Amino acid sequence: MKDVYILGIESSCDETSCSIVKNGNEELATVILSQIDIHKNFGGVVPEIASRQHVKNITMVIEECLTKANMKMEEVDAIAVTYGPGLIGSLLIGLEAAKTLAYIYQKPLVPVHHIAGHIYANNLVKEMKFPLLSLVISGGHTELIYMEDHLKFEKLGGTLDDAVGECYDKVARVVGIPYPGGPSIDKMAHEGKSTYDLPLPLNDNSYNFSFSGLKSAVINLNHNEEQKGHVINKEDLAASFQDVVVEIIGKKVEKAIKEKNIKYFITAGGVAANKGIREKLANICEKENIEYSFPEIKYCTDNAAMIAAAGYFYYMDNRISTIEINAKSSDVLK
Amino acid sequence: MKYLYLDTSSSYLYTGVVENDELLTDRKIEFGKDLSTEALKTIVEMLEEKNIKPGDINKIILVNGPGSFTGCRIGITIAKTYAWSLNIPISVISSLEAMSITDDEYDFHVPVIDARRDYVYAGIYDRDNNPILKNQYMKKSVLETAISNMSDNFVYITNDAIELNGDKKKYVPDILKIVLKFKDKETVNPHGIDADYLKLTEAEEKLNDRDC
Repeated sequence: MKDVYILGIESSCDETSCSIVKNGNEELATVILSQIDIHKNFGGVVPEIASRQHVKNITMVIEECLTKANMKMEEVDAIAVTYGPGLIGSLLIGLEAAKTLAYIYQKPLVPVHHIAGHIYANNLVKEMKFPLLSLVISGGHTELIYMEDHLKFEKLGGTLDDAVGECYDKVARVVGIPYPGGPSIDKMAHEGKSTYDLPLPLNDNSYNFSFSGLKSAVINLNHNEEQKGHVINKEDLAASFQDVVVEIIGKKVEKAIKEKNIKYFITAGGVAANKGIREKLANICEKENIEYSFPEIKYCTDNAAMIAAAGYFYYMDNRISTIEINAKSSDVLK
Repeated sequence: MKYLYLDTSSSYLYTGVVENDELLTDRKIEFGKDLSTEALKTIVEMLEEKNIKPGDINKIILVNGPGSFTGCRIGITIAKTYAWSLNIPISVISSLEAMSITDDEYDFHVPVIDARRDYVYAGIYDRDNNPILKNQYMKKSVLETAISNMSDNFVYITNDAIELNGDKKKYVPDILKIVLKFKDKETVNPHGIDADYLKLTEAEEKLNDRDC
């Protein structure tokens, strides 16, 4: 069979990225321009600043990717692009660039759902097998997705309020760590002991999550200790917090694996880099005797390789679009 | 030489093709929030109707703001991607510069874009469209004082519902006239093209206030 080359473009948040992937599983080149150093000054991603950076960088990122892959636009089979969900102003930059390239080179335009991208990042590491369960955890998402086969997405549950990564960043701020503090909390948790009493959030029979109550509990705990004149042990607070997060995520993943007769488990998104969560999920999979795959960090955070990988399957399934497609800040994965 | 003109800096799409000092085709349509879905589609339809292929364009004249932030970025992304990928020379002009060209009856032209909260993006141009007061983000009252101290013979050019003391004209671009004026303007590297917002983001303004 002829090889299929997909050029992917991702600009849904604060990374401008372009990638070329062969046959949905072989990454030829990826360029990621992160804006994190700019947004750090503001304590989080500022949407208008993100859009302004994307428009500055978009063509340079695409050119560098083509150069790295030693390819020309003419050699690409289709252009895959994140159409949503994400920051609308940011999404529009990648989308307009992709649409323009699709018109100029008369290539099929393949709109890709950002969460599908995160899931398909796994295909760059190891071939996906079904029925599959995917946990997508990042600064913007917390979702449990069941897949019977390629592109057959069924959302079992998700967060009802804050995303898990958002909660990590806020807890980090409480203990005085600047944005993005999530990764530091994970590190500190390994140095501390779970000594503080925190509630297990949304400990019910659903597949949903809720993290805003836990966040408030951490803020209150910190406040009360300060009022009493106690010095909070930051490492212990991080360990206590991570403990309940890991426990509730583990509980719901385990329930889904059992009830849905899962054969293969994957995780994706920026928080999938969290060591505490990885260890717990690996334990569960080993206990349940199912295969699992946790992609490398570079595939966990936002990147265009995952969009090109998912784009390959969309393209082979003939899910192509006209240039009238719009960006969507929120959209159900289907 | 075929020139492609593109301005999406407001709620309108203004686009056209000029060849041999003639306007071959154009579109002037208010899309508002649909600009992101309609802009490229409309440009493509316009070009195809005249059998113009992407590579037939010899130069692009792009308006890069000020105006609607999102609007500006849509046109800029299309134009810089177009120019970069086909290696087509591209020049950039200001929306206010383009707006000043609408008129030739008054001594001074004052293009104005509403920036809300009593602020405007504006500049002052003379009869021959040379800049007298550079384009800037300023209080509306400051603009009104500046122009009334300069002359009685002036006109505000705007499409916004904004109260101004003096004669007012609606902006309908004369694309042929604009392209002929700027067709030989120096070209720029498409990678370096950015919007000319004339205003920092609110987050940056707050950060600056704090640092002062």
